[in-house]
Amino acid sequence: MAEPMELQLLCWGGDWDLPSVHTDSLVVLAYAKFAGAKLAVKPVDWTWRTITASVPQLYYEGSTVTEPTQILNFLRKQSFNADYELTAKQGADTMAYIALLEEKLLPALLHTFWVDAENYANLTRPWFTSHSPFPLNFFVPGRQASLALSRILLTKAESPLLNITEVEGKIYSEAKECLNLLSHRLGNFRFFFGDTPTSLDAFVFGHIAPLIKAPLPSGQLQKHLNQLDNLCQFCNTILKNYFTDATTEKRMDCSPTATHDPVDANLQKLTQLVNKESNLIEKMDDNLRSSPQHRPHRHEVKPSAMASERSST
Amino acid sequence: MSLAAEAFVSQIAAAEPWPENATLYQPLKEDQILLSDSASSLAVQTFLRMCGLPVQVSCRANAEYMSPSGKVPFIHVGNQVVSELGPIVQFTKAKGHALSDGLDDVQRAEMKAYMELVNNMLLTAELYIQWCDDYTATEISRPRYSSPYSWPLNHVLAYQKQWEIRRKMNAIGWSGKNLEQVYEDVSQCCQALSQRLGTQPYFFNKQPTELDALVFGHLFTILTTQLTSDELAEKVKSYTNLLSFCHRIEQTYFKEHDREGQFGSSHHSKSSLP
Repeated sequence: MAEPMELQLLCWGGDWDLPSVHTDSLVVLAYAKFAGAKLAVKPVDWTWRTITASVPQLYYEGSTVTEPTQILNFLRKQSFNADYELTAKQGADTMAYIALLEEKLLPALLHTFWVDAENYANLTRPWFTSHSPFPLNFFVPGRQASLALSRILLTKAESPLLNITEVEGKIYSEAKECLNLLSHRLGNFRFFFGDTPTSLDAFVFGHIAPLIKAPLPSGQLQKHLNQLDNLCQFCNTILKNYFTDATTEKRMDCSPTATHDPVDANLQKLTQLVNKESNLIEKMDDNLRSSPQHRPHRHEVKPSAMASERSST
Repeated sequence: MSLAAEAFVSQIAAAEPWPENATLYQPLKEDQILLSDSASSLAVQTFLRMCGLPVQVSCRANAEYMSPSGKVPFIHVGNQVVSELGPIVQFTKAKGHALSDGLDDVQRAEMKAYMELVNNMLLTAELYIQWCDDYTATEISRPRYSSPYSWPLNHVLAYQKQWEIRRKMNAIGWSGKNLEQVYEDVSQCCQALSQRLGTQPYFFNKQPTELDALVFGHLFTILTTQLTSDELAEKVKSYTNLLSFCHRIEQTYFKEHDREGQFGSSHHSKSSLP
């Protein structure tokens, strides 16, 4: 039987080292960990709720709350308050930075995951399709994608820019600026307001964690974020300290060691450059191999190269 | 504008000084302009006054259609046309006038964050109240918006605009809110601004910045515009430091110029701050 104080959260499931791949769900999960609230997490994967429920959704003794801000308010009222020690000015700053995230970063995130053709076809749609029950797997990703596209166009595209490609440049440059601003604000601190995490940390984590961890085929924003070491470290700190069941052994090249050693940072940048170089060399190699003069004799090529080989032979 | 076009415009802008005949275009003040447009226009005018740049205000019925981005106000400077506060701030910066140069990186991040807060909460709330609240839309917004046009164009344009704004509200998730929640959001936003301002004269202590211009534009317009109910103005009035902030900016930047020119405050009914 459920305990009387049980809070149940409906959210999308986890992957790529994260407890959830959905930004809003991550925000709520992170805040609950910071505030010490025990949530019974019910992933909506493989249920009909993927299309009927607006995720995330919190159930408590009969009442239902949706939307991250509302859920956080509700948790605060139940005395799970991670913002207890903030001054009034810091509380105001929290609201302002959350507005900044929503206006500047969210459109680019939506675009990266849902509108960019390569990412959508290779990562987002397969993931959501595989996590939805039949026959919803035909509808769920498409619906989310069209919602994302309409949101971007309605809020960011002004009348001469009705085409999504023209808006792209604008939203990505705004998103990069937003990430830079966040990085400046975070500086060398562990969290945004000192040593304990607050709701702002939850929001920032929820937005940037999928961007850091998802294996995106084409991610210019991800590359930009990987260069901002303090944000990467912030994300990994939260994952390590609060979501210990998420494995962090699989380190991507953005997750540095715990020290802020400049030598390590330089080594890391060098490693990134070398990785980029080797990626370029690999691509050139694959292009050469896929050209008609060369017979394909390597079986462990990437799937895209394989497809182009099939079409060329 | 695309990024390349923006960079090009900045380069051209940097070449010439600010001319005397710069003009700011907005919809007709007495009959047509609505709360949100009036707030944006006032914010731009305040910003330009803070920079000490002269600009003439010209009211046109088709200002929205003349604007390059579809939003008002826009300024016509030399042979360039720039609309909305963000691009106008960049444009004046290219010409060498900037208010926020003295801020360090963290403060600039805060300023941008607070400007987004005002745009996200106050402006969206103003649009919601004007167009999604049926009573206000029928009594005030639609008649005013379409006043320069004759039948049937006035109906078509008014409903088209209303539909467009409602779609936008739907996309960002505000259509599920009722009026009470919107007033509550406005109150929270004002509380955040009030806490940030504290007892300082401006948001970043001694010098006014574009954030001050933006906040003044919105708050002053809310306080001096009569809508179907006074609740919005009441929410703002409950924060005394914001009220005195508005008084101070009005005194400093508008009253002294008023002796020769016409700033005249606003628009629907009352004439200056109570």
